[in-house]
Amino acid sequence: MTQDVEMADQAPPSKSLSSPDPSVLPHLKEIASLIETGAYAREVRRISRAVRLTMVLRKKLKASSLGAFLNYVLVSGSEVHSRLSSFLPKEDEHDMEVDSAPSGTPAPVKHPLPELEIYCYLLVLIFLIDQKKYDEAKACSSTSIARLKTVNRRTVDVLASRLYFYYSLCYELTGDLAEIRGNLLALHRIATLRRDELGQETLLNLLLRNYLHYNLYDQAEKLRSKAPHFEAHSNQQAIFHTIPFCRYLFYLGKIRTIQLEYTDAKESLLQAARKAPQAALGFRVQCNKWAIIVRLLLGEIPERTVFMQKGMEKALRPYFELTNAVRIGDLELFRNVAEKFSSTFSSDRTNNLIVRLRHNVIRTGLRNISISYSRISLTDVAKKLRLDSPNPVADAESIVSKAIRDGAIDATLDHANGWMVSKETGDIYSTNEPQIAFNSRIAFCLNMHNEAVRALRFPPNSHKEKESAEKRRERQQQEQELAQHIAEEDDDDF
Amino acid sequence: MDPKITEVSQTFERFKAAFVRNDFDTCTRLLSQLKVLLTAFKSLPPLFQETSNAIHELTTARDIYEHAVVLSVKMEDQDAFERDFFQLKPYYTDARGRLPASPQEYPILGLNLLRLLVQNRIAEFHTELELLSQSALDNPCIKHAVELEQSFMEGAYHRVLSARQTVPDATYAYFMDLLAKTVRDEIAGCSDKAYDRLSTSDARQILLFSSDKELLQYVEKEHPEWEIKDGFIIFQKVKDSVPCKEIPSLQLITQTLSYARELERIV
Repeated sequence: MTQDVEMADQAPPSKSLSSPDPSVLPHLKEIASLIETGAYAREVRRISRAVRLTMVLRKKLKASSLGAFLNYVLVSGSEVHSRLSSFLPKEDEHDMEVDSAPSGTPAPVKHPLPELEIYCYLLVLIFLIDQKKYDEAKACSSTSIARLKTVNRRTVDVLASRLYFYYSLCYELTGDLAEIRGNLLALHRIATLRRDELGQETLLNLLLRNYLHYNLYDQAEKLRSKAPHFEAHSNQQAIFHTIPFCRYLFYLGKIRTIQLEYTDAKESLLQAARKAPQAALGFRVQCNKWAIIVRLLLGEIPERTVFMQKGMEKALRPYFELTNAVRIGDLELFRNVAEKFSSTFSSDRTNNLIVRLRHNVIRTGLRNISISYSRISLTDVAKKLRLDSPNPVADAESIVSKAIRDGAIDATLDHANGWMVSKETGDIYSTNEPQIAFNSRIAFCLNMHNEAVRALRFPPNSHKEKESAEKRRERQQQEQELAQHIAEEDDDDF
Repeated sequence: MDPKITEVSQTFERFKAAFVRNDFDTCTRLLSQLKVLLTAFKSLPPLFQETSNAIHELTTARDIYEHAVVLSVKMEDQDAFERDFFQLKPYYTDARGRLPASPQEYPILGLNLLRLLVQNRIAEFHTELELLSQSALDNPCIKHAVELEQSFMEGAYHRVLSARQTVPDATYAYFMDLLAKTVRDEIAGCSDKAYDRLSTSDARQILLFSSDKELLQYVEKEHPEWEIKDGFIIFQKVKDSVPCKEIPSLQLITQTLSYARELERIV
């Protein structure tokens, strides 16, 4: 311990400009020891904690403190050490002083654990991405992935999944996602063979993201339907499973939307939006955008509260106006809105979906007409729908007849007189409909309760001894870190 | 030059000659020869190796598959179309960066969209659509298919049929004919629900037949349940969604019991 203090003391005076936050290095060392104990005791939990702690430190990382940390953990002169140090920006002579400290005294770990080595890769990679040195980050991530393939330890999994994530991120930032697709597939295969669940989840998500980036919905769906599922984790509260699951749901929702399975898509998207952490604003906005369109396509009108969610009003504004146009059933207004916000829609890549909506606008307009008039001539229908076509009456007739067949309106056509006769709307309370709706709601509530019970976790021996004050503090601290981690992660990921 | 390439281009020349003559037997025979020959090139998908004349080989292969697709349309073979199209697709997607764009690309993509529409594979239609860029969507061939789909979904069948006159390419006619058949079936299905009765002359117009005889044949074949009386077609109305008179007691009992069981567990 004295050694640590010495180094921390030594650093500030030698660096005038790039003086590292003195607290970072000791923190990093703490994390290293946490990983070490975790690796020896085979406790994955400790390693996840280490990753969480790292995320807190992320903003404070400096090249100098990283260099010092590498010297501390890795044997200087070893291959890994020299490779990793080469990624860090060159520092001046002062660093050498710091270097000499650990090399003079016996290095704390002679042969670093693979966990620590991987951790160093992760740290350097995060640092490089934060510094926007994407080319170095790409090189660094590629070497780390090559190294990862040779390590088969369950305690590495948590670190590996983070590495995969940043690996893909830095390629995405430079726009070369297609390059790594083959590699990701290979990694997914390896993870599956090793029963590395976290790795599988992360890689599956990355692959889906990769495909969807290029609009390859077909391939994405084929992969998704054949890859092992991980829905079983949906109940677990562990954050490392919830976030991948949210993403997975989002991608799934997108695929299903494109393939016109709107009911399933709506479910996935709404679930993703609900399960996503509060701090993940960008992600929730995306989910909501897609969910709104899907609901519109289903013929539902989302409630006003959806658009008024905190922090989303502005982003959802185009979709609000769109919904309004669909609600009124005004083709003209719909066209204007689609044109006005076409840049937003094309950057959201929802343009094609908006085109599909036209059909729903007509339907809604037709439904309004059918409710308000008991009998109306087809010429008036065409006028009210503002169909601009060479033969509006014939179009109106076939559109109405299709709507009747699809059950959108309840009416009959009279061809000889050229009018549409609406049928009396039946009394819904004379059918079984309300009972069915009531039943499905009760079932939902009961199911929710049961899932909550199942997700409860009981620490061993909790009934014997009361939680000591110290333990409680530790637990609370852990929860706090968790919350912070979520916030951190979502700031930059979505 | 590589003897293999020479062989391919010679066979391809003979194929093209037969293609112009509309000699389909020779074409299919030569095409299968060509396909076998193409497997020998390492620069083609899925290997995509960087060989010295990769570009030339890729272009030739793309050309061959484009002809194969058009041939399948001419021979009115939808399965062959699908097979050949999937073989051609990597040249448009994965090799896009390396090859100069083919003038045939959009017509063929549009044809494929049309095929999916005819076969009523709307989900795949939209999946394909997502792959196209904005400039591709503005291309007349693609736009034609997209507008058809929209009119089809809306129910504006007249617009679908009048689109037949504006086909961007002669090869489209085959699928447009098939589409006309699909549209007629759709209209018949809709009329069945929407009208109580129709005079035969109106029905003839709506279903787009040129004579009453054709109409009667069609009704007999496709919709024997329609009744034809005094110059009117009378559609059989199935009275559905009658208000529920009886209480579904058994179902209610099981539901209530399950609520009771669940509540027991909670309390």
